[in-house]
Amino acid sequence: MHEFDDHDSIILCHSCDLAVRKRALPSSSRAICPRCHTVLYDSPYCSINGMLALCIAALIIFIPANLLPVLEIHFLGSVRTTTVIQAAVTVWAEGYWVVGLAVMVAAVIAPGLLILSILTQVMIVKLKLHSSFWQRAYSTLLKNHGSISQMTMLEIYVISFLVSAFQLSDFSDVYFGMGTFSFTMLFVIILFLQREYNLEHMWSYVDA
Amino acid sequence: MPNTPISATNNLSTTSEATVVDCNDVTTTKTQPHLQGQKIGLCLCPVCRKLNLTSNNHCRRCFSQLSNRNYASIQQSWALLITATILLVVANIYPITLLTNRGVVTNDTIFSGISHLVQTGMFPIAIIVFTASILVPWLKIIGLATYLTAISFNLPVSKRKLMVGFHIIEWIGRWSMLDLFVISLTVALVNMGQLLDAKPAPAATAFALVILLTQLAAKVLDTRLLWDRLEQSDDTN
Ligand SMILES: [Zn+2]
Ligand SMILES: [Zn+2]
Repeated sequence: MHEFDDHDSIILCHSCDLAVRKRALPSSSRAICPRCHTVLYDSPYCSINGMLALCIAALIIFIPANLLPVLEIHFLGSVRTTTVIQAAVTVWAEGYWVVGLAVMVAAVIAPGLLILSILTQVMIVKLKLHSSFWQRAYSTLLKNHGSISQMTMLEIYVISFLVSAFQLSDFSDVYFGMGTFSFTMLFVIILFLQREYNLEHMWSYVDA
Repeated sequence: MPNTPISATNNLSTTSEATVVDCNDVTTTKTQPHLQGQKIGLCLCPVCRKLNLTSNNHCRRCFSQLSNRNYASIQQSWALLITATILLVVANIYPITLLTNRGVVTNDTIFSGISHLVQTGMFPIAIIVFTASILVPWLKIIGLATYLTAISFNLPVSKRKLMVGFHIIEWIGRWSMLDLFVISLTVALVNMGQLLDAKPAPAATAFALVILLTQLAAKVLDTRLLWDRLEQSDDTN
């Protein structure tokens, strides 16, 4: 099959295995599979410096988002507050460690790892660390990027603040804390970070 | 462009505001039907999606093991899905929270929690919780089961629609986590002894496992298997 020797002009759809001829895309557009409509590739719009700035902003807001109280209830004169981490730990302590672990991973651990992972990748690319140790670290991070970003569920947690507040307002007065604000900001920053990030583009640094 | 079934494409695109560009498949100018990567000796690396020769054992970019098709993925996916279904029934029957209000203990199931929201007039919240805790998990299980049945028994269902459904399933599955977040916040906030107290109940663990197992069932499945059958039966749905 000599006509397909030039592998880099052909790509395969990862959903249906159709062979598709690759072509250059105008910016902010994406190519879809003509048969099954899976997104094949985006035009790369990765900006390394932009991602670095977003990573640093995310790291800074990460701490108050997880440590400041997110919800506060006033009930018969007493005030109760909780943070995201406390909420997960409380469920765990009640014996429901599967639930506690799921909440902890989706809201705290995965977002934290995602920020650190992208930050490390950006630094490796930016500082041109070519030694085999850093190159191996780089591909390990890229290999795990998909699962980490799938486990990050900040947008769902933001909605759950609202749902909890409405449900609890049946019993008591509910107030949002500074944690809610920080957590929502963290969500917005990560959202922009993930839009900027392009896995295919990051892999292309390995080829070079 | 003769004999290319690409026509009605753009209106079906599932993704955001970015413009969608159709790619031509390799066979556009020829008379033969769609060309699978498998037939021309090419495959994608399952990890980094680099194009590789099937004859190579390892990816030339990330050195992962290459697999042409994962036929065991159907059985793995079925096993995960059946376990998830059993657990979802458990999660729906048993109480998910235990509420003490002025000495009176009430067991709330997912469903009774929602009907309580409806009674207190919080319809928008009731709809959100209903979607995340009942609609999404059941739709996901039914959708995945349809998908797996279509591959396993080679059913004549429109494969393109199945694929669109599959992408929707992958995306909405995460939203079931909402209920677990709400439970953890509620339990942490409401602990005032006999006056007002909230605790998680057994269905919470079952529900967490349902989310985990259905996400895994979608992840392990090798969707290329569906389209291999399409080539064999030659229906161009
Ligand atoms: Zn496809
Ligand atoms: Zn690879």
